[in-house]
Amino acid sequence: MTAALPLPIQLVWLIPVYGFSGVLLSLPWATGWVKRNGPRPAVYLNLLVTLLAFGHGSLITLEIWKRGAQHLSFNWFSAADLHLSIGFDLSLTNLAALELVTLLSLLAQFFALGYLDKEWSLARFYALVGFFEGALSGLVLSSNLFMSYFLLEMLTLSTYLLVGFWYAQPLVVTAARDAFLTKRVGDVLLLMGVVALSALAGSMEFTDLYRWAAQAQDPSQGTGQLAPLAGSLIGLGLIAGPMGKCAQFPMHLWLDEAMEGPNPASILRNSVVVTSGALVLLKLMPLLRLSPMATTVLLVVGTISAIAGALVALAQVDLKRAFSYSTTSYLGLVFIAIALQQPAVALLLLLSHGLAKALLFMSVGSVIATTSCQDLTELGGLGNRMPATTSAFLVAAAGLVGLLPLGCYWCFGLGVQAIWQAHPLFAGVIVFTNLLTALNLTRVFRSVFLGAATPKTKRAPEVNWLMALPMVSLTVLVLLTPFLMARINPVPGIGAFSLPVAIAVAGSGLVGVGIGSLIRLDQFWSRSIQQPLRGIQDLLALDFYTDKIYRATIVAFVAGLARFTNAIDRQVVNGVVDGIGRLSLQSAENLKLSVSGQLQSYVLTVVIAIVVLLSSLTWIVGEAVR
Amino acid sequence: MTSSALMAFPWLSLLLAIPFLGTFALLLWPGEPSPGRLRGITIAVLSAQLVASLALLLVFDPGHAGMQLEEVHSWVPSIGLNYQLGVDGLSLPLVLINAALTLVAAICTRDFSKRPRIYFSMLLLISGAVNGAFLAENLLLFFLFYELELIPLWLLISIWGGSQRAYAATKFLIFTAVSGMLILGAFLGLALFTGTVDFSLTPITSERLAMGSQIVLLSALLVGFGIKLPLVPFHTWLPDAHTQASTPVSVLLAGVLLKLGTYGILRFGMGLFPEAWAQLAPGLAIWAAISVVYGSLAAIAQRDMKRMVAYSSVGHMGYVLLAGAAATPVALLGAEFQMVSHGLISALLFLLVGTVYRKTGTRDLDALRGLLNPERGLPFTGTLMIVGVMASAGMPGMVGFISEFLVFRGSLLAYPIATLLCMVGSALTAVYFLLLVNRAFFGRLAITPASDNPVEDSRLDIQLAPVAPRETLPALALALGVLALGLVPALLGHWSEATTTAMAQLPGLVALIPAGGVG
Repeated sequence: MTAALPLPIQLVWLIPVYGFSGVLLSLPWATGWVKRNGPRPAVYLNLLVTLLAFGHGSLITLEIWKRGAQHLSFNWFSAADLHLSIGFDLSLTNLAALELVTLLSLLAQFFALGYLDKEWSLARFYALVGFFEGALSGLVLSSNLFMSYFLLEMLTLSTYLLVGFWYAQPLVVTAARDAFLTKRVGDVLLLMGVVALSALAGSMEFTDLYRWAAQAQDPSQGTGQLAPLAGSLIGLGLIAGPMGKCAQFPMHLWLDEAMEGPNPASILRNSVVVTSGALVLLKLMPLLRLSPMATTVLLVVGTISAIAGALVALAQVDLKRAFSYSTTSYLGLVFIAIALQQPAVALLLLLSHGLAKALLFMSVGSVIATTSCQDLTELGGLGNRMPATTSAFLVAAAGLVGLLPLGCYWCFGLGVQAIWQAHPLFAGVIVFTNLLTALNLTRVFRSVFLGAATPKTKRAPEVNWLMALPMVSLTVLVLLTPFLMARINPVPGIGAFSLPVAIAVAGSGLVGVGIGSLIRLDQFWSRSIQQPLRGIQDLLALDFYTDKIYRATIVAFVAGLARFTNAIDRQVVNGVVDGIGRLSLQSAENLKLSVSGQLQSYVLTVVIAIVVLLSSLTWIVGEAVR
Repeated sequence: MTSSALMAFPWLSLLLAIPFLGTFALLLWPGEPSPGRLRGITIAVLSAQLVASLALLLVFDPGHAGMQLEEVHSWVPSIGLNYQLGVDGLSLPLVLINAALTLVAAICTRDFSKRPRIYFSMLLLISGAVNGAFLAENLLLFFLFYELELIPLWLLISIWGGSQRAYAATKFLIFTAVSGMLILGAFLGLALFTGTVDFSLTPITSERLAMGSQIVLLSALLVGFGIKLPLVPFHTWLPDAHTQASTPVSVLLAGVLLKLGTYGILRFGMGLFPEAWAQLAPGLAIWAAISVVYGSLAAIAQRDMKRMVAYSSVGHMGYVLLAGAAATPVALLGAEFQMVSHGLISALLFLLVGTVYRKTGTRDLDALRGLLNPERGLPFTGTLMIVGVMASAGMPGMVGFISEFLVFRGSLLAYPIATLLCMVGSALTAVYFLLLVNRAFFGRLAITPASDNPVEDSRLDIQLAPVAPRETLPALALALGVLALGLVPALLGHWSEATTTAMAQLPGLVALIPAGGVG
């Protein structure tokens, strides 16, 4: 079968290799072996391999469009009853995700060339992004859980290294640590689920797992049915990984702190990384039937993330953080859609959110690069000074909010239409999140682009072409999102929702924009002196004190346990050893004094010892042999 | 040479002859050779040993499960001591690791100030004795080699160690001597009870013994090898020995000598007493889980980098016991992987910690900062350190991941709780090693001046002597090995799978694997 496939499909395994080869290609410059011409050659090589990945992906997409979905599998490692393979599921959905990943990676890398122009370790940044892109592009195509886990962990590592890019700064150090550990906790829980599924179901291919899950649930099957507890635990383990990856409450802290990393990496992190986590969850969706508890947890986590994320975003004064919390919020909506078995809505939302959020972060990056400032209170009046950036921000905001007929409007419409009868509460969550997001985007737009110019923005020029070109291209792409969506998902059409739903979505967006335009801007950051309001402001600005709660509970618990173990180790375990040593020395000292010199008593002792030893030995041998 | 002539060649004796003859050559070398020349001779001998070990791969048949290339010569028949050697998929990778890591230890030796002749000959002697222990097919012969490695290592710690070396070396000696006594006692007891005078591995069996005495003998073996492994609570010699030993000795100790414990447990504990093993296995799984979690938690609290890596060894060797307790084909292959993986990774970590110590004069995590600094710090060492700790934490793409995955996958159904606890230990590994990298390598490279002003800006920038590229070669080679085996695990699995699968099917063990689900 493989022989009949065209070459681009046969060579699909090259797709992740492109990204990873970027790491090797950057090494001579990243390590400083080649210093003569600066690190630029590494950048060009990385852009080239990303372009290759995108081109190759497009060729495959064209072929798949003609032939229908294909599946390719290569054996990786087999031992006894364990078979691990590298599998590629070439469906249009996966390929669309691949194109999204490689395209955004290409644009972000181009953008980074301008943003990180004078960075001394530019080559290291590109090596890391190459690693990132390789893992991501393999992940979206992966057809088995093992490979997905493998690449998710690699993403964790590359996120850690990218967040820790400027490792000499103290805040970066803690941010990188938190990013790694939070995701790692999710990953280990996921690993527990993966290992359990591997042992129980035998195969790691998603299709085999679906079949196994259906069977394990079937009450007519006497044997091989899974205990409910085991099913619940596996389900919880499986959702923990995507929860960490998608920065959902209570594992959302890292995304906010990760804003300490370079902005081009934030572009990717807030768009495609979170998307990849959600895609893994989508692939796991049929398995979640094993565990009603996992579905409930998904709903609760998604709802909390959606609303709390949007609320916390409102109280941020940091330009990047105001939008990183919004990412948490949107992925919460995706979680809700997945838990309510609406994969199409989830996919469309991921696509339109990914594109719009990437554009938003490019625009934010342009502002930061020009003004060297990301504090909302110190910005203003950039609207007529940076037209391309301003329009990018406006288009991105329109793409995110359900008001104008861009990407998310259609997603929200479809989502509300699909669930409002069965789950009106969650339809309300979507509408409310839309309102809060519109409010947040409006107030940020007012503080940054409208109003009087501040000392930091007075002489701000538009960004150079290296940043402007990817930003403008992405602006066009976001404007075209509805057409993309219509191409991908023709039935039942992206406008398949009723007029009341359309009015509810657009109305909530309008209300959000209205409140955002009317409210006094300083109310978002000045602390009120009236108590309940002040408390709420603090609560939101400090993200519900999540980091403090963590420090007081989990961190303190593990640290305390570690100190306790260490104390036991030193005092008790080692103390016993040292004590025995001292005891033997002491008793030898004492015995030395009891030496009498009487030969008879020595002989007597020896004889008694021999008799006792020999008799016990004969007894043991007699007992021992059957 | 025809293939039968290749098979008939005494390859295994060659693996013993090279290091032992090298030892004598070094000791008897005429005149006063310079330390550099002694090191050169040692490296030449060890390279020959590595080549001879690699040559084994040509004559070894990976599809065959039992002992291969056997050599039997009568030595002292009256006490059942035969010179009987053999290699199988369990010992072959360990022989290779031994050759490679002893070579690394010789290459990275930099301190020639004290008695270089004895130092290098002891290095060779250890390598030969370890080879002997891995290859011996006779219990008494194994014991001889097991004890033979003890004295040179004691000398290496007590002559070339740190300030507390006398305490650490004595502790090591007493612990390991007790371990040897217990092992010898178990071997003698087995012979005594079964009434045999032949200590060869193949005919000796515990089948006719009452279960009670089997359990007693197995327990003696478990404690004996558990000291070497080391398992909690018999581990306290290890952190002290590591912190006092010099870098090459730590590499040997962690990379090679601990494997004697796991090898012994699997070969003799499980191999000779399968029925009693099946009885004790649930307890062993719990013991393994305690060891893993305890070692990992204790590692978090350490401030000395070397102590931290030493405690991580306590944690990671526990996985091998867990896999042994589960005794499924996948788990046992995982145990083999874990032995090799721990050998490579811990050797890498000790090398890098050694480099940091040599350049900064401290291993204190409260004092070190910002070593990744590209111009004034140790960027390459830092990069390799990130590779090493990530491999140890089980990051995919490196050998630590596939070994942990195999162990967990093979053990989960048999011992769900213990396996999950071990996975928690794996998460804790990420915690302490991440803290190590974050503290020592991230941040600003500076020292706080004597006034001890806590303000960050009052710190003084420092300039560390750069590491010559040549000096990083051993660590680089180990890191590449970690990556290669992680990306293509079949490189290792190919040689061991037949043996580990056969081990899982020992009569008496098979009944162990439960049919039930997770609970």
